[in-house]
Amino acid sequence: MTKLEISRGAGRGAAGLLMLLVACAAARAGEPPAKVALTGGRIIPVVGEEIAKGTLLIEHGKITAIGEKVELPHDAMEVDVSGKVLMPGLINAHDWQGLDVPNENADVAPYLDVYDAIDPSRLFFENSLRDGVTAIHIIQANNCVIGGVTRVVRPIGLDVDEMTIKPRVGIKMSTTPKGGFDRMLQMAMLRETFLELGDYLERLAEQRYEEEQKKAKKDVDVGPAEARKLGKELVRPEDYDDMHANLVELTGGRLDAWIYAGAAMDVGPAIKIAKDNGLLDRCVLVLGPDSFKAVAELKAAGRPVVLDSTLDFRERDALTGELAETFVPKVIHDAGLTFALLPNPDASLAERYQTYQAARCVREGIPRAKALEAITLNPAKMLGLGDAMGSLEAGKTANITVYSGDPLDFNSWVELVYIDGILAYDRAKDVRIRRLFQPPGADEKPDEKKEGAKDEKAPAADETKPGDKPKEESKPEVDAPAPPKPEEKTPPGEDEKKDKPKEQDRTSRGDRDGGNRKKDATRSGGGSDA
Amino acid sequence: MSRQQATGHRQQAMGNGQLSRARQEASFPCPQAAGKREEPRRRGTFARRFTIAIAAVLCACTSALQADDSPKLAFIVGKVLVMDKTDSVINNAVVLVSGGMIEKVGKQSAVQVPSGYRRIEMPACWIVPGFVDCHDHVVGSLSDLNDMVYLTNPGLSTLDTVEPHNSNINRAVAGGVTTALLIPGSGTNMSGFGTVSKTAGDSVADMVVRSPGSIKIAQAGNPERYWWGVGRMFMNFNTRQTLEKAKAYHEAWVKFEKGETKEKPAFDPIFDGFRGLFARTFPASVHTQIYQVVLTTVDMLARKLDIRTVLDHSEFDGWKVAPLIIEAMAKGHSIYTIQGPRAYHLDRTQRKIHGNAARWWQAGNPLLGINTDAPVVPQEQLPFQAAMGCYYGWIPYEGIKGLTRIPAEALMVDKEVGTIEVGKQAEFCVWTGDPLDPRSSCEVTVIHGKIVYDAKLNRRF
Repeated sequence: MTKLEISRGAGRGAAGLLMLLVACAAARAGEPPAKVALTGGRIIPVVGEEIAKGTLLIEHGKITAIGEKVELPHDAMEVDVSGKVLMPGLINAHDWQGLDVPNENADVAPYLDVYDAIDPSRLFFENSLRDGVTAIHIIQANNCVIGGVTRVVRPIGLDVDEMTIKPRVGIKMSTTPKGGFDRMLQMAMLRETFLELGDYLERLAEQRYEEEQKKAKKDVDVGPAEARKLGKELVRPEDYDDMHANLVELTGGRLDAWIYAGAAMDVGPAIKIAKDNGLLDRCVLVLGPDSFKAVAELKAAGRPVVLDSTLDFRERDALTGELAETFVPKVIHDAGLTFALLPNPDASLAERYQTYQAARCVREGIPRAKALEAITLNPAKMLGLGDAMGSLEAGKTANITVYSGDPLDFNSWVELVYIDGILAYDRAKDVRIRRLFQPPGADEKPDEKKEGAKDEKAPAADETKPGDKPKEESKPEVDAPAPPKPEEKTPPGEDEKKDKPKEQDRTSRGDRDGGNRKKDATRSGGGSDA
Repeated sequence: MSRQQATGHRQQAMGNGQLSRARQEASFPCPQAAGKREEPRRRGTFARRFTIAIAAVLCACTSALQADDSPKLAFIVGKVLVMDKTDSVINNAVVLVSGGMIEKVGKQSAVQVPSGYRRIEMPACWIVPGFVDCHDHVVGSLSDLNDMVYLTNPGLSTLDTVEPHNSNINRAVAGGVTTALLIPGSGTNMSGFGTVSKTAGDSVADMVVRSPGSIKIAQAGNPERYWWGVGRMFMNFNTRQTLEKAKAYHEAWVKFEKGETKEKPAFDPIFDGFRGLFARTFPASVHTQIYQVVLTTVDMLARKLDIRTVLDHSEFDGWKVAPLIIEAMAKGHSIYTIQGPRAYHLDRTQRKIHGNAARWWQAGNPLLGINTDAPVVPQEQLPFQAAMGCYYGWIPYEGIKGLTRIPAEALMVDKEVGTIEVGKQAEFCVWTGDPLDPRSSCEVTVIHGKIVYDAKLNRRF
């Protein structure tokens, strides 16, 4: 193995770039072990009955057997997960995080591809892993008319190719107006795009026919209408230009439509635009908070939906002041629709966690099995990956999240995450979590040690930290369901840094007063300017 | 030039992307260059091509003249850092220069100084190859830094802005910098062709070594400000499209020239300049920094388009891409990392300071150099940039290599300059000591075998 293969293997084998850098020790893991058996855990397969104490066998990145008793091959390595709970890895059905900016300043831009903007070093991916997410659908945000091509990635890997699970999933569209647009303009542009596509294809066919005739040194002896008909067969994939190539894939069935309808009134138009262009059987509707008001239309369309993470919709009657509250997933579930739950990107709320949302669904009367499907199997199906992931079944990819307790219990932790059979996350080695739960003053320990007095205590305290963090401590407040998870410890400036090195540099000097600022910008910003 | 003036220039360089035209003109400090602006701009491609042709002819003439002109010099010094592949160092050495070239290098005991040579005896001093700066804006007029017409502007070239004897060039020569790649700014994803130039010469033709010297690409981290703001998704799409079209153009011509097809491609004045890029006779100098951006540069330019790639700046956490670069190098792609001017990266999530050069080096990247981005950092501080790299954990000898041989290789001028070897151009400086030591000063600068700076006569620093 050459030097570089080792480092590549490291990226693959450990837990992605950041884990690799943070927990340097894990770096040299190399290829995943060929066969691993997770034994003694409670298994929630999502499809099929729960197994109270069972074994799950992974061979070459795939689940090959699952059950109460599984005969283990002699060369399988056993990992005892007694007392823990196995779930299929969670799936995030729709997220722009991981890109540098949510949207481009372009209304109709089907030529774009999120490939060009995914940053594997984003903390978002590391946090996804920490939350037990094993597949993320990266799609640009909603401020567009037609956006670029989307992609499903796993939160590990040094570059985008290594992260990719499925490269070309769908095209983003929105019936909710882009900033500065109104609904009429938005819909007009959507309609025009498809009408223009039809016209473009006709003209292209005519052009191709004429080209071929010319090549064969024959006259063009038919009218344009006939030429267009004859030329249709002659159009080759390389003939499409950038503006149309992906739209042809979309209407031709090789890309799905992911349509954002951010308000109930945008649902109808979304269904119509899909229907008019033959996309209805291949579209996923991404809904806003009041989507339940369009439930009749949604039911009639029967398409899977991605719900907004604001689960409760509250509305005050303007005259009576009466507050009406609706738990949206229940309405959607009762209509018999397939739905997926999204983590809230605005983070500090409990809605950040898909497991919390599923737990809320259970409280509101949705069957537990359905709630679990909404964070695993349903998004997998929407992404066309229903056969590959989303449940623990023989033959599927070994994407497994191991919890310390019931996944819907909010005191449970994600202990281990396997992606393609690779141990991608291990809480015991999570340096950030360890640091986060260090008691105050832990940083000064080395000095105390020197004094000798607390020699014994200090290291002991250190060891207990990583694992059993303040589960007890986090309980007392009933209303604060989220124990402070790693996420919050990100310094607020972190994401900004990625985009605007300059600004960051400026603020990092605390140099905000006008007088010095210009000078400073000249000096530090210049580094990237010229 | 006073300190104040220097700052003025720096602001000028910065200003192009940010200030209004009016303000730029108002604040321009140099009347000579300001006058020049009134001339009609040479926008026409034919005009430009004509200029290149003239320049080439002049170049040929003057180099012949130089050969006659150039004096015969004998440098007797305490140390010569040869900077060759065997890392040789010659103590108590003689360097003979004639005809603009290095004629002989060796120990004083082994090399006789023939008669007719002017003896320059500086027994306590070091001879170091002239520094090569891969990312530099000083050789040209600073009011012509960024023409932000489109997001990619392949028709432009810095050859049209070369300005002999501007005040920044004088700083360069006095600071030991002898060859510089003059490139346009990073206001757009592709701001034009760069020009490899000497930092001495009375005319454009005297100075210019190669045009195009490189194509300047800014992957991200400035072009975002174009229009109402663009993201990496659009920028990378756009850059890739431009390069792919240029590549297709080149390939169509290659096919025709090889006789594989009789269909003569149509001449395209804009894409014709790219032919050398894909024939690998000049590299792409890429303004790139931050992990994902460097990653994209490596992936798009080196891996997929197989362009000779020079990663300029390569700051922040860009060094984390090193494993992928080494992998790409092993597959035969050419990638040089020219770091600076930010010497360190403060990683807030890890609460650590990383020396950028040190991290690149520790990750096993052998082709590592240093740039200034002058006049953002004053040109004479190029060795100081390397010294800062070493302060944060790099190796001093590698630091000097990163100012001489490595950037010369990156710019593909290593056959002419970058080391003190017989047969190469006499282009070096005599330093009072280790050039990375901020206390050392450059005493004599030799370009094309001629002394172009002598501190004894006209000390600058």
